[in-house]
Amino acid sequence: MRSSLVRQVLILLALALAPGVGEAVYFRHRISWQSAVLPSELVTVDQARTWGGNVIWVDARPDEEFASDHVPGALSLNEDQWNELLPQFLAVWSPGKKVAVYCSSLSCNASREVARRLRREAQLPDVFVLEGGWEAWLKKNR
Amino acid sequence: MLNAEVSAHGTTSNIKHRASNIFWRILGLIIAGIFIYAGAIKALDPVQFASDIDNYKILPWPISVALAFYLPWLEIFCGFALVVRWLYRGALSILTALILVFTLATIAAKVRGLDITCGCFGHASQNWSFPAHLATNVAILSALMALWFQSAAKRSATTAG
Amino acid sequence: MKTPIVAFALSIIISLSARAELKWEQTTVELHPTAADKQAVGHFKYQNPGKTPVHFKSVHASCGCTTAQTQKDEVPPGGSGEITATFNIGDRTGTQVKTVTVETDEATNQKTVLTLRTIIPQQLEINPTFVFWKQGEKPDPKAITVKVGKDFTVKHIKVTSSSPDFQTKVEEKGNGEFKIDVQPQETKNLIASTLTIQPEDSQKVFYATARITNSPVVQ
Repeated sequence: MRSSLVRQVLILLALALAPGVGEAVYFRHRISWQSAVLPSELVTVDQARTWGGNVIWVDARPDEEFASDHVPGALSLNEDQWNELLPQFLAVWSPGKKVAVYCSSLSCNASREVARRLRREAQLPDVFVLEGGWEAWLKKNR
Repeated sequence: MLNAEVSAHGTTSNIKHRASNIFWRILGLIIAGIFIYAGAIKALDPVQFASDIDNYKILPWPISVALAFYLPWLEIFCGFALVVRWLYRGALSILTALILVFTLATIAAKVRGLDITCGCFGHASQNWSFPAHLATNVAILSALMALWFQSAAKRSATTAG
Repeated sequence: MKTPIVAFALSIIISLSARAELKWEQTTVELHPTAADKQAVGHFKYQNPGKTPVHFKSVHASCGCTTAQTQKDEVPPGGSGEITATFNIGDRTGTQVKTVTVETDEATNQKTVLTLRTIIPQQLEINPTFVFWKQGEKPDPKAITVKVGKDFTVKHIKVTSSSPDFQTKVEEKGNGEFKIDVQPQETKNLIASTLTIQPEDSQKVFYATARITNSPVVQ
């Protein structure tokens, strides 16, 4: 009787493998097995620099931080004033442009949230989060 | 005759047995339904599920991803096994193990002060509270164990008879 | 699976030793502000059951949108108090999770993470909030779907366009769903409009943007 139970369990475990593997293949571009953040969502300062004038920089930090210093030409877009700032951002966007969103550093969450809303609500393609944020940009540019 | 009422295990057509059989059958179907539904919700968005598993901070990321693809289907298949009564006890064992592991992980997360928004039902249950999650898991676990003992009792009844 | 069990056992043992350590009534607070609220406030109550006073070294929040305050910097033995976390909702949506990290001089538990989970009610869900036509593209209507949040009832919505160059038409699909068809007069000029979407009998206003954009530069 025991062995038949083990056999049943093994059969079920094996059965579930097929669709599991199938999904893993189907979703292979939407998830990275290495890191928790989708690689195609992140961009480094150097990579963004190669986009030249085709990139729109978005500062997801609060007003005061943006006012004190920001990436030249960057637009402020944060969740506190989303409704007011979004149309201003959209006025600058056009198809083909790449968007790089940053907040203060590697650990802040605001840039991911703003990027997510741009992708999901405004359905914009090519929206990226700057790896390392403002800190990383400062290191490379100042 | 009353053959229509005979259950899969060939017990007698006594009315009490019939009612009891129907009760267990319905309980089994409810539990199966819960797991199939839970599995389906998670199978639809494995990327989100991988992230939810990762939030428990127990497993390394690649394992979370692998489980996110695999576990929902395991739930679905075991649920169906309960419905069609094929590999029945195997399915009960696996589902019991899953619920146990999952409940322990939820308690561990709570103890460590992690904020967990994933429940048995994936991201859909993110607004539930911890006691609600725990109570649901305990209820499902009890039902699974009850089904197990009922199945064991049936088996010894039929092998004895 | 050993780790969670060990962690569980350890934390039981640790919490049994009533040294200078704060006891929190809850470390996760869930808030349900109304659609009109601008802030959500969570109260995290604590007690000092130990024999020595506990000092707060720092209290800081995970984002600038949340401020947290203690009533006092020192908790005497037997004393109690609370940390108030104020979350500025701004234009945020959905379930927002923010944390406040509290550092004390406790012997065994220097850092406590308080979690504020705020469920922001969403009266209308607008998708997408941006429709555009490339310059020169055929000015066909584009659709915006409006879904009523599950705790709300909205029978009608009013849509106004800030620019007469864009026409809007609202279709009630029933079941809490509306469809807004937006159409520009022409796509030659880089015109734009802010669409104001207002549920009837409600002060709250929602927005969407319609515009004509540059065509992508061929490189």
